[in-house]
Amino acid sequence: MKRTLSLLGVILILGLTSCSNNTKEATNPSGKMGKLGKLKLSLDVKKFTLNNGLRVLIVENHRLPIFSYYTFFDVGGRFEGPGTTGATHFLEHMMFKGAKKYGPGKFDSIIESNGGSTNAYTTFDSTVYYQNMPSHTIDTIIDLEADRMENLLLEKVAFDKERDVVLEERKYRYENSSRGKLYLNMMQRMFEGTPYGLSVIGSVEDLLTLNRDQMFDFFKKFYTPDNAIIVVVGNVKASDVMSQIKKKFGDLKPSSDEIKAYKKEKDNDSLYVAKPKWGKHFKYHGNSKNAIFMMAYRGEPLGTRKAYVMDILSNILGSGSSSYFYQKYVKSKSPLLNKISVSNYNLQKNGVFFIGGELRSRTNLDKFRRTLQRETKSVCSKGIDDRGVQKTKNQFLVSYYGSVQDNAGVASFIGSTEKYYGDYKYYEKELEIYDSITTEEVIKVCNEVFSGNQQVFVSVWDRHKKVKGN
Amino acid sequence: MKTLFFISCLVFSMPSFSAKYGANKIQTLKWNDLEVVWIQDERFPTYALSVYFADGALSDSAGEKGMTSAMFNLLTSGTRRYSQKDISDNLEFYGASYGPNTTHEYSTYSVGGLVKDSIPTMKKICHLFQDATFPKKEISKEKKRALEGIKNMVDSHGALARRAFRQISLEGSPYGYPVSGKMKDVRGITQNRLSKKLKYFNDEVKKRIYIAGPKEVLNLERVIAEDCKWTGKGSYVRKTEYEPIKSSKKAQIVLVTVPKANQAQVRIGRFLNRGEYEKRELLSLASEFLGGGFTSKLMRELRVKRGLTYTVGAFAAGQKGYGRAGISTFTKNETIGELLEVTKSTIDQIVAGEFPDHEFERSRGSLSGSYPFRFEVTSAYLSQLQFLDHIGAPYDELYQFQERVNKMTREQISQVVGDIFGWEKQTVVILGSPKLAKTLKKKFGKVRIVSYKNFL
Repeated sequence: MKRTLSLLGVILILGLTSCSNNTKEATNPSGKMGKLGKLKLSLDVKKFTLNNGLRVLIVENHRLPIFSYYTFFDVGGRFEGPGTTGATHFLEHMMFKGAKKYGPGKFDSIIESNGGSTNAYTTFDSTVYYQNMPSHTIDTIIDLEADRMENLLLEKVAFDKERDVVLEERKYRYENSSRGKLYLNMMQRMFEGTPYGLSVIGSVEDLLTLNRDQMFDFFKKFYTPDNAIIVVVGNVKASDVMSQIKKKFGDLKPSSDEIKAYKKEKDNDSLYVAKPKWGKHFKYHGNSKNAIFMMAYRGEPLGTRKAYVMDILSNILGSGSSSYFYQKYVKSKSPLLNKISVSNYNLQKNGVFFIGGELRSRTNLDKFRRTLQRETKSVCSKGIDDRGVQKTKNQFLVSYYGSVQDNAGVASFIGSTEKYYGDYKYYEKELEIYDSITTEEVIKVCNEVFSGNQQVFVSVWDRHKKVKGN
Repeated sequence: MKTLFFISCLVFSMPSFSAKYGANKIQTLKWNDLEVVWIQDERFPTYALSVYFADGALSDSAGEKGMTSAMFNLLTSGTRRYSQKDISDNLEFYGASYGPNTTHEYSTYSVGGLVKDSIPTMKKICHLFQDATFPKKEISKEKKRALEGIKNMVDSHGALARRAFRQISLEGSPYGYPVSGKMKDVRGITQNRLSKKLKYFNDEVKKRIYIAGPKEVLNLERVIAEDCKWTGKGSYVRKTEYEPIKSSKKAQIVLVTVPKANQAQVRIGRFLNRGEYEKRELLSLASEFLGGGFTSKLMRELRVKRGLTYTVGAFAAGQKGYGRAGISTFTKNETIGELLEVTKSTIDQIVAGEFPDHEFERSRGSLSGSYPFRFEVTSAYLSQLQFLDHIGAPYDELYQFQERVNKMTREQISQVVGDIFGWEKQTVVILGSPKLAKTLKKKFGKVRIVSYKNFL
C-alpha cells in the first residue's frame, strides 16, 4: 500500500523529465539503488487551492492528445457508523447515476461516446473517481464533475436497482470468493471495535436497510470542495484548466463547522486503537479445497518510519519465488504450501502486517500454524541480510517505473501523496527514508513484529463448519 | 435532446484522421538473420523484451497435452549450473520481470527491468533456454502444485466457467483443449518430454524479438546471438487445418454443475471459422456496442435497468487460424431465466435494427476516440505490433483503425451482431447450482448437464 505512495514518485519524476540528467543519475552500474534518494527531482506540478478549500494539481504532458482526471475525496469506509456500513461504496456507485445538469445515463454516455473511460474505487480512507479522456473533452469533464459534486440526484428507482447490483458485487467479491472472505474476516478480527473493523462493501443487513436520506446526508457531509483534491495529467494547458475549475467549482460551499467537527471526531486516533484477540484461530467455511490462511500482526499507520521498514521486511520474507518463506514452504524438499506471500498494509490510522498462503492438501492446518509461529521466532536472524534489503530496493525501483507509464499512474501517485501527506512532494522525504533503511533496522523491526504471541490466525476451508452469518 | 446534440457535437469534433502515433520510433532490424522490432522509448531507463515463438500448444500431440506451457513455465526450475533458488534470486535481484505466455498458436517469453541490468538479465534468460535440465525433484513438486491448483478451481467460479466455456463452445476444433492441459496431462509431464520440447522450440520454431526501450537495449544483440544462440534458422510456423465448425440452428444450453453455488456464471458464444473473424474492426465495434463499457446495450439492459448483474462484457475477435465470440456475465440463481431472456431479446433488437442512432454513435465514438490510448504504454504498443505480425497483417492496420471505425454504419452492426451473436447459433454455458436445471429446462427444453469435474 505504502509503496504506491513512495517510490512511485521517483519514477514519475524521471519519466516526466525524460531526457534530463536525472535519468542518467539513476542508472548506476552496480544494480543498487545507491543514491537514488538524493536525486534532485523536478516534477512540474502546478498546485492551486481555491478559496473554498478545493486543491488542484496539474501536470502537462503533451505526448498524446489525452489526459487523466482524478478526484480524491477524503472519505472512506471508516467514516461510516453502525447501521450504515457500505454507504460510502454504495454512494460511489450512485455518483454515476445522474446529477441536475447531466441527468441519468448522461455521465457515462458523454465519457464513453468520446472514447474515454471512467470508474471509481472506495477504500477505508478514501474514495477516488477517475476518467481517462481525449484532450478536447477537458471542459466537459470539469463541468460533469462539478455538477455531480454539487447536485447529485440520487433518484429512488436507480437507488433501488443499484442496491441489487452492490449485493451481487458483495456476493462475487466476498461471499463466493474464499480469498475475499479470508481478507474480510482477517480485517474484522484485527480491527474489531474500530472503524476499520467494519467492511467497505458493507454488511448485507445494512445494505438492505440503507435509505436514500441516509445516503444523501452522507453525500452532503463529505462531498465538499475542501474535502477533495482534483488532479489532471496530460495534454492540457494548466492555466486554462485552472480557470475552468475556478469557474465551475469556485462557488461551491465548503464544509460547515458542524461537519468539520464531525470529521475531527472521526479522525480521533483513540477510535482506531484495536485490541484483537491475540493467539486465536478463527475458522470460516469457504469453497477452497485447500485451507487458505492469514496470520496477522499489528501494523503501522501510513507515514511512520517503521511502516517503511515493514515494507522492506514484507518483501524480503514473501515477495517473489526467491523470498524467504517461498523457499522455505513452497520450494523446499517437502513443501507444506502451494502459495505464500507477506503484506504490509498501512491505513491512515492503523495498519496490519500479515502472512497469507494456501496449504498443500496433505498439510495439517493446526500443525502448520504452530510450525509457522515457531519459524517467526527465528526468521529475523536467518532470513534477513544485506542482499535481501538491496534486492528489495531494486525491485521497488523497477516496479514504480512500471506504475507511471501513463497519465493515470502519474495522477494516482500525485493525488495519493497529496491526500495522505498534505503535500505531493512528500515522496522526496519517503525516498530518503527508504534509502536510509539498513539491514540492522529491518532485523530490529522484524523482531518487534514477531515478538510475543501477538498474532491472529484466520483460515477458510471447505472442511470448516458452516456457521450462520459467515 | 439537448444533451444528445451535445454528445454528437463532441463526437464529431474529434480528429477525423488517424495519427500514426510513434510510428517513426519503430525500427525493424536483423540480428544474425533474426527479425527484431524495436520501439525506441527514451522516457524511462527501462526496457521490455518479448521473444515470439511461432508455435504454441497446438504442437502438443495427444499424449502430451499441456507440455509446451509446462516447458516454458518450468524453464526456471534448474540448469546444470544453477538451482531454482539461484535462478530466481539472481533475476529478482535485478528487479527483473520474466515469464512466458503460451497460446494455442504461438508462445512468448517476456523480460523487463532496468536497461542497465538488461545484459546480465538476458544472459541468464538465455542460459535457461540453452541449459534448462528440468530436474526431476523440481518437476515432481511443481506437478503436485499444478494438480492441486486445477483441483481447487472449484473455488473460482469465474475461472472455471472460462475453462468450461472454451472447451464446450470450441468443441470439434483444435482450440478447445486448455493450453496448460488437464489433470491427467499434468501427470504425464516428464523431464525427457520437457527437454525435447525445449529443443524443438530452440532449434526449429521461427522466432522474432520485440523490444521497447532506449537505444542501449540494442546492446542485447550480442547476447541473443552468443548466449541464446538464436538465429533466423528456426523457420517452422504453426499452420492448422480443420473442417469448418457448422453453426447450430438452435442455441445449445449447457449447465455445468457446481454444488451449492449461489450465483450463476454465464458465458454465451461460439467458434468463428475462417471467413468470419477477419474484419477485425467491425467485430470490435459489434462487441463494443453489445457489451463494451458502462453504456453498452447489455450493460444498460441487465445492470442499469434491472440490477441483474454487477458486470457484463462481450468480445468477438480472431487469432490467425480461428476466432471466438462471447458474452460474459453472472447473476443470482433466482434471476438466471430473466438474465438469459433479456440477453436474447437485446441481441434480437440489435439484429432487427431497433435501436436509436445515438446509441450507435456512442459506441462508434467510444471505439474511435479511444484510439490514442493504444499508444500510451510502449509495451502495450509493442504487443499490438507482435499480434499483427503473428496474423500476418501490416502495421498500417493499427493506424487505420480509427478511420475504418468512423466509416462504419448501424446497418453493418445489425448485420454482424446477427451473424456472430445471433441467439440460435450460440452455445450458452451456465455454471452454477444443479438446482438451476429445473428453470433452464422449463425455459429451453433440452439442457445438457455436466459436472464441473469434467473440465479439470
